[in-house]
Amino acid sequence: MQIRDLPYADPGVPDARSGPRFLLWLGRNQLGGQLRSLTWGLVTFLSISTLPYLVGFAVQAVVDRSGVRLALTGGLTALCGIAIATGDTMLHRTAITNWITAAARVQQLLARRTAHLGSALTRRVAAGEVVAVSTGDVEKIGWFVEALSRFTAAALTVVAICAGLLVYQPALGVVVAIGVPVLALSVLPLLPRAARRAEQQRTKAGRATELASDTVAGLRVLRGIGGEQLFLDRYRRASQEVRRAAVRSARMWSLISMVQVLLPGALLIAVVWYGVHLAREGRITVGELVTVYSAVTLLNFPLRHFEEIAMAYSFSRPSARRAARVLSLERPTDAGGSRAAAPGSRTAAPPGGDLFDPATGLLVPAGRLTAVVCGDPDAAGRLAERLGGHAPSDTSPGAPKTSSARLGEVPLDELPLATARTAVLVQDKDPVLLSGTLGELFDVPASGAVTAEQALTAAQCSDVLDALLQGAPDSTDPMRSHITERGRSLSGGQRQRLALARSLVTDPEVLVLDEPTSAVDSHTEARIADGLRSLRTGRTTVVFTSSPLLLDRADRVVLVHDGKVCATGTHRELLATETAYRSVVTREPDGGESHAAAGTDERGPHAATSGLHTTAGPPGPPDALPDSRTPDELQDIEETA
Amino acid sequence: MIGVAPPAYDPAAPTTAHTLPVGSPATVRAYIGELFRRHRRAFLMLITANAIAVTASMTGPYLLGGLVQDVTDTAALRQLHLERTILLFTAALVVQAYFIREVRLRGAVLGERMLADLREDFLVRSVGLPPGVLERAGTGDLLSRITTDVDRLANAMREAVPQLAIGVVWAALLIGGLVVTAPALAPAVLVAVPLLVAGCRWYFRRAPSAYRSEAAGYAAVAATLTETVDAGRTVEAHRLGPRRIELSDSRIAQWTAWERYTLWLRTVLFPIVNATHVTVLCSVLMIGGVYVLQGWIGVGQLTTSALIAQMLVDPVGLILRWYDELQVAQVSLARLVGVREISPDGGDACLAPDGRAVHAEAVHFGYRPGVDVLRQVSLRVAPGTRLALVGPSGAGKSTLGRLLAGIYAPRDGRVTLGGAELSRMPAERVRAHVALVNQEHHVFVGSLRDNLLLARPGAKDSELWAALAAVDAQAWTSDLEGGLDTEVGSGGLALTPAQAQQLALARLVLADPHTLVLDEATSLLDPRAARHLERSLARVLDGRTVVAIAHRLHTAHDADLIAVVEDGRISELGSHDALVAADGAYAALWRSWHG
Repeated sequence: MQIRDLPYADPGVPDARSGPRFLLWLGRNQLGGQLRSLTWGLVTFLSISTLPYLVGFAVQAVVDRSGVRLALTGGLTALCGIAIATGDTMLHRTAITNWITAAARVQQLLARRTAHLGSALTRRVAAGEVVAVSTGDVEKIGWFVEALSRFTAAALTVVAICAGLLVYQPALGVVVAIGVPVLALSVLPLLPRAARRAEQQRTKAGRATELASDTVAGLRVLRGIGGEQLFLDRYRRASQEVRRAAVRSARMWSLISMVQVLLPGALLIAVVWYGVHLAREGRITVGELVTVYSAVTLLNFPLRHFEEIAMAYSFSRPSARRAARVLSLERPTDAGGSRAAAPGSRTAAPPGGDLFDPATGLLVPAGRLTAVVCGDPDAAGRLAERLGGHAPSDTSPGAPKTSSARLGEVPLDELPLATARTAVLVQDKDPVLLSGTLGELFDVPASGAVTAEQALTAAQCSDVLDALLQGAPDSTDPMRSHITERGRSLSGGQRQRLALARSLVTDPEVLVLDEPTSAVDSHTEARIADGLRSLRTGRTTVVFTSSPLLLDRADRVVLVHDGKVCATGTHRELLATETAYRSVVTREPDGGESHAAAGTDERGPHAATSGLHTTAGPPGPPDALPDSRTPDELQDIEETA
Repeated sequence: MIGVAPPAYDPAAPTTAHTLPVGSPATVRAYIGELFRRHRRAFLMLITANAIAVTASMTGPYLLGGLVQDVTDTAALRQLHLERTILLFTAALVVQAYFIREVRLRGAVLGERMLADLREDFLVRSVGLPPGVLERAGTGDLLSRITTDVDRLANAMREAVPQLAIGVVWAALLIGGLVVTAPALAPAVLVAVPLLVAGCRWYFRRAPSAYRSEAAGYAAVAATLTETVDAGRTVEAHRLGPRRIELSDSRIAQWTAWERYTLWLRTVLFPIVNATHVTVLCSVLMIGGVYVLQGWIGVGQLTTSALIAQMLVDPVGLILRWYDELQVAQVSLARLVGVREISPDGGDACLAPDGRAVHAEAVHFGYRPGVDVLRQVSLRVAPGTRLALVGPSGAGKSTLGRLLAGIYAPRDGRVTLGGAELSRMPAERVRAHVALVNQEHHVFVGSLRDNLLLARPGAKDSELWAALAAVDAQAWTSDLEGGLDTEVGSGGLALTPAQAQQLALARLVLADPHTLVLDEATSLLDPRAARHLERSLARVLDGRTVVAIAHRLHTAHDADLIAVVEDGRISELGSHDALVAADGAYAALWRSWHG
């Protein structure tokens, strides 16, 4: 695998049963690369270790007053130099290639897993882990993969040098052969503690960065209201803590450096002492002494790789474990859908017809604009999600299987996920604008019947386009202007309208919108309501809202309370007949004032968030109206409406 | 064709205008100078320790050279003081080891101190930025500077600067040692210099920007994935999975293209560096060998020189390795110190408002030259008035709100508070009188108490609870197990947007300015709760001037005065009843709203 051939057409199916297995799987997939890197590593390290011999030869040649041998040594040194230059460069190239191909493969696997998990990833923990793997762990895994072949080459070289010395000069070679394993292992006991301190430092640094970015992210708030000093002091403390942790960590590393100088130095002194004795007795030549001396100094170089591989492994093991865990995450529902398994249904065409939710009794007639009013915004969100099928929140242990919404006669959960999503598009309360150009934002799978211009017009986005153009480097084509991550440069209302326009472009059979205009001003909302209505003519649309401007334009309005449909009609009919409806929708003083006065007692604040429960019209108990009806009656209402 | 051209797509190129300035070379130089001066002592200590360590490290080759000389010289061999030499050797080793440790430790201490200075300086500067600059540039650019650029500088400060200082001293001492040992041999080292210089020039001309692009490319890979995770529901709902995979793959292709390019750069540099080493060694051996044969120098000198020449590998490698990093870091440093170039709020501290009347006189304002968002807007808000600004999106309501809060200065005309021009007052003075609350409902990492205290440092818990009660937040906050000590914000308890908005309003209650500009301040609450909150807030804010940019007509209904903003002008102005009676745009809207 070469870097230019990346990304992989297919990154493969990882063995994600455990961290080590995952590392092994990665290694198996780049066996060739590892071998290439090992080979070049051997060429490099062995040529480097030839240099001391050449130095020794040269000195000996001079001692023996042989110009010819000196010249010969010069030639050999040049050859050796070429081998080192080639080997070192190729080792670097092959090892880095291993790193990058492994990192690219893991990133590709993550991208595929994430796309597969989709809405199931909204759980904070899982989401955080995926991001952690992508931003930090991939590098550590790559490091290990890269260091592995270098280490193997270094280990083989050390063995070769020792063997060579034993043959070349047995008496001195024995000293080196005994000393080297001690050197190789000497720093290992210090490493775990050093790694731990490094990790502590990293954690503290992460915390400081978090505080800094948090302060900057909220800077407009701080500048507007004060408190800068409070946050500066807090950051200073965190920053100084990082500094202290870093120095603590450096203390350990400086100790390791000291050991790395001291022990090889001791070996060197032993070699010199013994060597000079031998030389004095005439058992070795001067050249041989110099050779052994330089060989020992050069041994330091491959020995460093022992330390590195130990570090790389201790850092990459938890990373690999985390990566394996993330790559084995699964969706709670079967994305394949039980119906897809039936023979001949490969191209499962989305069904049509009315949309019905058995759990609440909500019926959405095909081709009409239905508005749903629900006092509790969270319940509305759950209901909206259920209308799309394959709802992640719907799979709590006790949930009955019948809860899946039906489109026509087909339960959506039994359809393949993609088919269900094609048929019904649920836009939740907080749709995310993906960063990229405006053109890319609207490049979504769509029916093709609605153009971006039509959708932008219907969603009243002209001021958004102006705002985007202001921020663009070349302000000509709004479709090429950039939207920052999550559309942060836009206001809440602008984001909402762009998200609505995107859903309109998709033009699904059924479009479910949860509070699509809650942050939009009334002037614009009224225009959007008209635009939405005309653009969705003949298509099924459900809007969860409590805005009279939208409700007034719906074909029918359904009031849902306590998880059940309790009234159906047009906006004006319900306004006239349903007190509960009236109080939710118009927020008439009659409902609001009664507990506004109670704002300071214990029940007061609850009223604000839990909606219908405490906001009955003055006469009668609050819940009397919906609860007094039987499910059968509700069904009647549904059918007659 | 041999070689790799730099990829056409540069992930490091900016995509949006309006970003903050990048420091000029002069600013960067001045800052570096300041850093050096601040840490002069530590630098001197580091270099001294390093010099001692290097000198000690040369003792080995020097002594061995002596031994070699003695061993070859039979006369000297008899009176060889081996024990004394070995003792010296050992002493030198101990000194070297100790000072190596000192060098690493002092280097780290110095690096960490500089880094801490740098990041703290940056935040101090950021926190002092004028609100208008922040509004325009957004916080995204600042955010990437405090995260990415500080990270990138961390390596440079922690390692590159100390290591470079070490490497330069080391190389200089080694060459010095060579000159002292065998002055005649010193020119042999120079043989390789032209090759190294040419190679480095080629490399360093290309490397820094390439590494920057490479890093940006890699960050983009992770950012794409992070976004897919963050937008999980949206991705699934819109069936964007395959496209996200495609996008990730293309980001990987862009990143690896840069990796391939930088790998090519190193493919050129590495052989040159290696060739330099071998050339130096070769020329010392050959030239020195000839000298010895000629009898100009001794074998011992040759040995020492050859060993020192070999030792040059380390410092040269060190310099090349970290010089790279420093080049990359320089760009990050320029981005960090760029913030210093923004003049920090040139307010006139003598200016103080006399009274509380807000007055806009013939105000014109535009974000781009030639395009005015507000035209000829005049408005007089008497103290204690509740004014609602209504109108379609993009009409200029928010902009007018920001002008009234003193965040922007009008292009023409004046906005005054109590007769004093708001835009000429320092931000700290303005906010004592006027506060702007927008949709940005940032929850700071920290305890609930921290999140409130920023508005009134030193407030008692009872005051904090009262503020929470005033914004209907008492119920959920008193249910919290940790009470005011509950950790919120990223990593802590996740607050709903509605709760975050209540928190923002509670801060406002604590800050207690006499004039408030509320920009969609309750838009994230569900409409019922919003109205309730607005009413409880109204009681708390009774008597204060409130300018509310209203999305919901009930806000307008409750206001004393309504200004309808359309197309950069105020088209209707009056009380709710008056406007309904006038039967204009507002009246039409009200009827459709109210049914």
